[in-house]
Amino acid sequence: MTANHTELLSALVDGELQGQELDKALQLLNNNELTREQLQRYQFASDVLHGNTRDNQRIDLSASVAQALDEEPVYSDKTKEKVNKASVIVLPKQFWQQAAGLAMAASIGALAVVGVVSQPQNQLVPIRTVANEVPVETTTVATTGNRWTVGEAEVADRLNTYLVDHNEYAGASDVFSYARVVSYEAGQ
Amino acid sequence: MDQELVQRVQAGDKKAFDLLVLKYQQRIVHVITGFVHDPVEALDVAQEAFIKAYRAIPNFRGDSAFYTWLYRIAINTAKNYLTAAARRPPTMDVDAADATNYYDAPELKEFETPESNIMRNELEQAIHQAIEDLPEDTATAIKLREFEGMSYEEISQVMDCPIGTVRSRIFRAREAIDARVNEIMNQGEQQ
Repeated sequence: MTANHTELLSALVDGELQGQELDKALQLLNNNELTREQLQRYQFASDVLHGNTRDNQRIDLSASVAQALDEEPVYSDKTKEKVNKASVIVLPKQFWQQAAGLAMAASIGALAVVGVVSQPQNQLVPIRTVANEVPVETTTVATTGNRWTVGEAEVADRLNTYLVDHNEYAGASDVFSYARVVSYEAGQ
Repeated sequence: MDQELVQRVQAGDKKAFDLLVLKYQQRIVHVITGFVHDPVEALDVAQEAFIKAYRAIPNFRGDSAFYTWLYRIAINTAKNYLTAAARRPPTMDVDAADATNYYDAPELKEFETPESNIMRNELEQAIHQAIEDLPEDTATAIKLREFEGMSYEEISQVMDCPIGTVRSRIFRAREAIDARVNEIMNQGEQQ
């Protein structure tokens, strides 16, 4: 071991090596036991100065740790990328297709219900709820027991159109493909 | 440099982790001894902490200093060890934020024995004496490095000399200190 090598080790203890010099130091440490001992002595003296030693004994865990790590995987840049990407959940394309179909079907359903409810034959009366003489909220309910009246041709038509549309969209998006929806016929 | 070593480990260089072990093993064992007083058990826990660190290193992004991160792993490993052994972890704690500059925590000193204190004082005095015996420039360089924590570049500015000269002076100081420490350690072994 030359003076240049030991000077390299001294700089290594101070964390002042980078790039090629660090490569060289690592190579020296791997190939030369005396170099390892020298590095540990320098490091030990520095640790003593800072009160970082236990009973001022020289400890060497490196061999046992290295042995234990023999069975551990060797990482690669891909491992790092995998870890970084692990936090992002990527959903399959099929999920988004189904979700879009479901959303579309729900929207059409909501539109149909709103359309039916707002028919003029349904007399809706506002009811004021009173609690302790203080108005709290106003709600609206239908006065009839049925949600909609199917006896009228116009309502039956709208329902029929809705069901046919629903069936078409559902088929296109794989949503409810197992469900068989038939058109509604007035009077049934 | 630690960050570069970590990146090398993350890229598949296991030997770079070996260097991190060599660098921090004394400190980690010292910290763990504050929790796990049995010397043999403390070494086992320290080894476990390093293995845990290796397993977790792909997740290390460098948001904190490597030693701060390693220090937290060591403390948690020690506490888990005591819990598993049905022993109560000490209530005292050391702030992880101070881990990088963590030298003389009084909480940990209370576990030292009178004999170890004598040995510690003897070694410390020998090192200080070795530094005082150095030529002035060499002594100043090692003092600025070890006691003030300055980088080589900062020391070169303070001492108004090239970085290569700083490196060379610090190396010579370490050689002198090493010779003195070896002398003391050999005397201790003979007794």
